[in-house]
Amino acid sequence: MTFGANTILVLAGCTLFGAIAGSVGTFVLARRRALVSDVAGHAALLGIALGFLAGEALGIGGRSPLVLLVGAASTAFLAAVLVPPLARLRRVGDDGAIATLLAGFFGLGAVFFSLVQSHGSGSQGGLSKLFFGSAAAMTRADLFMLAVLSIGVLSALLFCARGFATVAFDEDFARVSGVPVRALDFALTALLVSVVVAGLQIAGVVLVVALLLTPAATARLAPASIRRTAVLAALLGGTAAFGGVLASLATDSIPTGSAMTLVSATIFAAALALTALRSRVSRAKRATRNIEDLRA
Amino acid sequence: MNAFLSIDLPAVLAATLALVACGTLGNWLVLRKEALAADAIAHAVLPGLVAGYLVTGTRSPWAMLGGAACAGLAAILLARVVTRATKTGASTALGIVFTAFFALGVLLLETQGARQVDLDPSCVLFGSLETIFVASRADASWFATLPTSIWTLAAAASIAVATTVLTFKELSIRAFDPAFSKVSGASPRWTDDLRLIATTFAIVAAFEAVGSVLVIALVACPALIAAPFARSVRGQIVTSLLVSLPIVIVAYFAAAQAERIFHAPHALNASGMIAAFLAAAVPIAHLVHRVVSRDNGGNMGGNMGGNMGRNMRENARDPKSHDLNRRPA
Repeated sequence: MTFGANTILVLAGCTLFGAIAGSVGTFVLARRRALVSDVAGHAALLGIALGFLAGEALGIGGRSPLVLLVGAASTAFLAAVLVPPLARLRRVGDDGAIATLLAGFFGLGAVFFSLVQSHGSGSQGGLSKLFFGSAAAMTRADLFMLAVLSIGVLSALLFCARGFATVAFDEDFARVSGVPVRALDFALTALLVSVVVAGLQIAGVVLVVALLLTPAATARLAPASIRRTAVLAALLGGTAAFGGVLASLATDSIPTGSAMTLVSATIFAAALALTALRSRVSRAKRATRNIEDLRA
Repeated sequence: MNAFLSIDLPAVLAATLALVACGTLGNWLVLRKEALAADAIAHAVLPGLVAGYLVTGTRSPWAMLGGAACAGLAAILLARVVTRATKTGASTALGIVFTAFFALGVLLLETQGARQVDLDPSCVLFGSLETIFVASRADASWFATLPTSIWTLAAAASIAVATTVLTFKELSIRAFDPAFSKVSGASPRWTDDLRLIATTFAIVAAFEAVGSVLVIALVACPALIAAPFARSVRGQIVTSLLVSLPIVIVAYFAAAQAERIFHAPHALNASGMIAAFLAAAVPIAHLVHRVVSRDNGGNMGGNMGGNMGRNMRENARDPKSHDLNRRPA
């Protein structure tokens, strides 16, 4: 394993991404929107295919990153925004809405990808990398974009954390006390989508969900305020990403996205085991104390 | 043999059998608000597919199917354990578990030299109904040349229907009143476990044949299309299958004949097209129901109908309302 300039670039980028995904994930989990990230990730594929076709049609080349990014973000955002109104329909519910949108957007994505794959220009080669991600292909420009994104996400979280928490814990209270529930939900969806789209290149469509959810769920195992939980989730996400990149570099064959996901799932499992053990010990202690009280 | 018999008919047959297998059992998943289990299973089967290949060393469909079913079942059971231990909700637990399984699958695929398994990433994600066709052979009948995946799907569909018919009463009680089913003993736990196993088998068989996009659509959408009109579980299941079948067939031919219909350069991905049509039918069905129920209300006179329609909609939003919506979590 050698530490070239590119290695440091990838390590920095992935760690940064792990941290922002973890902190945004905390608020997504609190709002009970966990699998909206799954919808957004799969829906982004449709946008990428549409972006490619639009780029080719406009003559600026299908692989123009800006067009792909705009396409991915817009379809991901559209799908994520459609979840709540669909869920309110009779007997649909959150799970039904998420499954329907997943099927619809992912299905259309498959249809348009079958158009892209037959495109004569032959420039569509690398698009399927977005399914599984390829962190090693990160460039200096990508790192710069990630840095800008994380500053944006951090300031948005600092600005909205209190509002997000209020809406997540008691929506009715938030509404009657004049908190702009719709605007905050909109902002949270925008944050979620920007993290998912940024993560496509690093972890791929499916595994970006893990980077959002797993560190946040791990952090929630320890009782603390939502701000502290978000900070802890950022630390855990950063650590998992860092460890994942190292593992992937050390073996040279493990894909980075999988490594990051598995490291963060291992941390989650360890934390879960520890919590279960601790609650068992504390229950035993309480029982002993009760017996001693009875004796006294 | 003409193109219809060798290409279109086998593909439509596969899609129809997958619809019966996934759609029937999907009704129970939708009733119990577990529709996302299909998404989780469809992603979690990846390590099972690769492990099935690595253990047996062959690409025999049975090895891959067995491995996939074990992985899917393991993921669901693990997600239940995590749900119980974390209190963050079932969907979070599903998300954590299925991404970990998927990551393990990608890792196995990349490291164990299983690349020759020929699991094309876009094929795993999108699926391809187009790979199901009958190779024309002079010495064998049409039936004898049907691909194995059709027979697997037929088995999954029979198991799905048999499970639903034989344990219908038990599954209904469990779906609507778990507390009563527990105290009365009218519905033993094994009926639920049987349903879970049948569901996993249906999803795995369909995943192998038609891909993950279509599996998610076939599990969730038929039940959701029928849901606004249903007055009984039996009616919902039958309606869901009857309404979805024409949608599936129309969508398949829209994709297969895309050159003629949309002036596309070639046929489009049929699995994706069917999934998109089914998903679009969900809000359309709700819209139709709204219009129809408003008309019925109007016949009863004056403004009352409109109010009734609105009340019904309000009730649907209120989790405590006393209709089919009310389902203990």
